[in-house]
Amino acid sequence: MSWGTYMRRYGTLYLLLILPIAFFVIFRYTPMSYILLAFKKNNILVPPWQVPWAKNNGFEWFIKAFQDQNFLAALRNTIFLNLLDLLIGTPMPILMALLLNELAFPKYKRVTQTILYLPHFLSWVIISSISLRLFATNDGMINKLMGTSIPFLGTEGNWRAMYIVLGIWKECGWNTIIYLAALTGISPELYEAAEVDGASRLRKIWHITLPGIRSTIIVLLIMNLGHILGSEFDRPFTLSNPLVVGASKTISIFVYERGIQGSQFSLSTAVGLFQSVVCVIFLLLSNSLAKRFGERGIW
Amino acid sequence: MKRFLSLVLVLALVAAMGIFSTALAADDGFVDGKFTETRHIKVEIFNRNNDGGSDPTNNPFTEYIKQGMLEKYNVEVEYVSVGRWTEVDDINNLLATGEAPDICVTYSYPTIQTFADMGGVIDLNPYLTEYKDQLGDLWGLLEDYNIYYDQNPETKTVWALEAVLADRARLNTFIRKDWLDKLGLAMPTTEEEFYNCLVAFRDNAETLLGADAAKMVPYSTSTDIGWRNDLLSISKVPEDVDDATLYVYGYDDRHLLYPNYKEGIRVLNKWYNEGLVWKDFGLYTDSTAEDDMMKAGYVGAFMHNWDYPFRNNDDSIEANLIRNVGPDAAFVAVDCFKNEAGITRKYLADRIDRKVFFPATNKEPLASLLYVNFISNPDTIKFLQTGKEGVNHEITADGAYKTLPATGEWVMNSGMNIDYTITVNGLNIGEATEASRALNYSSVPAEIVIGAHEAAIANGRTAKHYNVGDITAETDVGTSLTAKRDALLTQAVSASVDQFDAVYDAGMADYLASGGQAIIDERAEKLLAVYNEAPAAK
Repeated sequence: MSWGTYMRRYGTLYLLLILPIAFFVIFRYTPMSYILLAFKKNNILVPPWQVPWAKNNGFEWFIKAFQDQNFLAALRNTIFLNLLDLLIGTPMPILMALLLNELAFPKYKRVTQTILYLPHFLSWVIISSISLRLFATNDGMINKLMGTSIPFLGTEGNWRAMYIVLGIWKECGWNTIIYLAALTGISPELYEAAEVDGASRLRKIWHITLPGIRSTIIVLLIMNLGHILGSEFDRPFTLSNPLVVGASKTISIFVYERGIQGSQFSLSTAVGLFQSVVCVIFLLLSNSLAKRFGERGIW
Repeated sequence: MKRFLSLVLVLALVAAMGIFSTALAADDGFVDGKFTETRHIKVEIFNRNNDGGSDPTNNPFTEYIKQGMLEKYNVEVEYVSVGRWTEVDDINNLLATGEAPDICVTYSYPTIQTFADMGGVIDLNPYLTEYKDQLGDLWGLLEDYNIYYDQNPETKTVWALEAVLADRARLNTFIRKDWLDKLGLAMPTTEEEFYNCLVAFRDNAETLLGADAAKMVPYSTSTDIGWRNDLLSISKVPEDVDDATLYVYGYDDRHLLYPNYKEGIRVLNKWYNEGLVWKDFGLYTDSTAEDDMMKAGYVGAFMHNWDYPFRNNDDSIEANLIRNVGPDAAFVAVDCFKNEAGITRKYLADRIDRKVFFPATNKEPLASLLYVNFISNPDTIKFLQTGKEGVNHEITADGAYKTLPATGEWVMNSGMNIDYTITVNGLNIGEATEASRALNYSSVPAEIVIGAHEAAIANGRTAKHYNVGDITAETDVGTSLTAKRDALLTQAVSASVDQFDAVYDAGMADYLASGGQAIIDERAEKLLAVYNEAPAAK
């Protein structure tokens, strides 16, 4: 096909692309020029491109961050909490989707699903105050009912566990949506054939359902791995208290304290940039790994 | 070469004159203390979002200021509201986007220093010198001490004016007087007696609270241990501590680095492990849960701002106690934490409060200074602090101002309109001040307030102010060190007694390594350089 005919046939499609591309250029890529702050000393009065480079070939802030024990602690906490989330949090919605899928009455299934989605719409601020009333060491409802005083939120180890459990409580139901959508794509004929062969329920789940949603699981896993260094702000910030700061200070809180509260914009930009770069590397790595194992990956 | 040099000099002179004349040009048309053309300035105002409060940018009080400024100086005033509890974040954002008000107010000097280092703040020194004659009220209130408090001894720059702290009382220890009476105990006069009272509260929970005995909290505190335990901690500081030590180890406004401070925390840790302190204090990061316990009558004693249980009129802790428990229930102030010399020593705040500064985007420095002058005028302060007669106050037979619960637009969004009187904190209405202060709390008898105020300032000492210039180690670390301090103290108090030293020392090591030590070192070094003094303590 010649260039002319190609453009005549598909030209309107390219025209349609102009708006979204303009959006990305103006609102996503242009502001990115301020990434330069990571390599310069921030000055509110002068745009970053007019400021001279920072010390050590511009890497002053990166060096400063990695010499700062508080940043290293935040880095460790971020990775640790995210790994726990990945290991414990990822299988949960799959399990729940499988359970939901086995429910026989459609109406009951729909009601259950809706109830499971609801916690997703609560903000972390609300959840943290509810959890405090429930799990406080002495005044909390759970401890009062059991007649104990377990420091659910008061020691670092317990706090991590609560962080993960509350995360699952909030997002598990919501995350089943994608798996449930994938489940509907599995051909019913496969189940019928298995039944003819006398396969049990568990066998069907193992040999038909799980392989049917394998690629979805892997895509979501890749995306989650991309967030291994990313960190939410609301969740650790609202759940934290002074007793457990050793476990709860994540990179996002470090950036908030230093950048927004302490005006160290260059340092926090450097930390943010480091975070993004590592995330992209993880994303690329896990994607190529998935491809090597014969999966489609995400692009 | 000579010709070249003279050329350079001439050029420099011309350039300097150019800068000078543009600086003055902004103030052209200022005749007989008034602008010939109307000027416009923007002023920062805290927004507290109070229930039933008024618009902080537009109410009878702002109207009074706006009218006064227009009539007196021909300056139009516009208010820009900034969240009270997020002021530093908000100001940072406004400064960073170049939209800062012409007059900014903050409690955080490091914020100002950070922006001054970037060239984002106006040096007030030349303006203060040039317009001193126009600023009589400002000088009358602040005096040289507050005006030049932050002046750099070398460069002579003045980045900010320090507001006057008119009332330097900090905190008090409060105890339930009705409980003491019920148990036949006297008002405690020593730490030991205070401790015995707490033990008695704990052991007689059923007598005092009946069915609610399980809710008994003999002594309550919060994660801001530094503030909420100050009188006990400070009582462990040696009486003969020298000014240089108080300066070098005085960065933290909660006195964390003062010598022997740890021993006060050790006492609290012991009380905690004996079941005398609110067990769950470490989990709560806001004050509502604790306030509710005090209001419900479950708390026996606590330390807090000197007037804490009296604040908020009908919703004060005292008023709630009377409603919930009975007419006799009351918290009264006791002054019982003595140091080794037997004195209830208190380290009072210096005469400074908030800091007023002008960002570099301010094109009306004179008009802005005149605003600060106007707000420091005794009549302005009196009106803003006491409001309208018959609505906000009535005048008693002896000339004192008695606060009335105002309604509608006359409600003050902050106590005594502190948010508008940016150059003064605390009642400052001349001779009537002392008598009026006690009448400021409509739900509490005057003598209880007077007693509390006396206890709060009794044996007060103010650490000497050394002006050694900027301490660079203090820039940027403020909020992270505050968080470290609260975590370290909260963890140490909640630790078991045998773990106390390990937890406290590890926390302190972390605090020092995260910037605390650098501050101590720099303060010591500059103190030596400028004043040739060194701290006695190590």
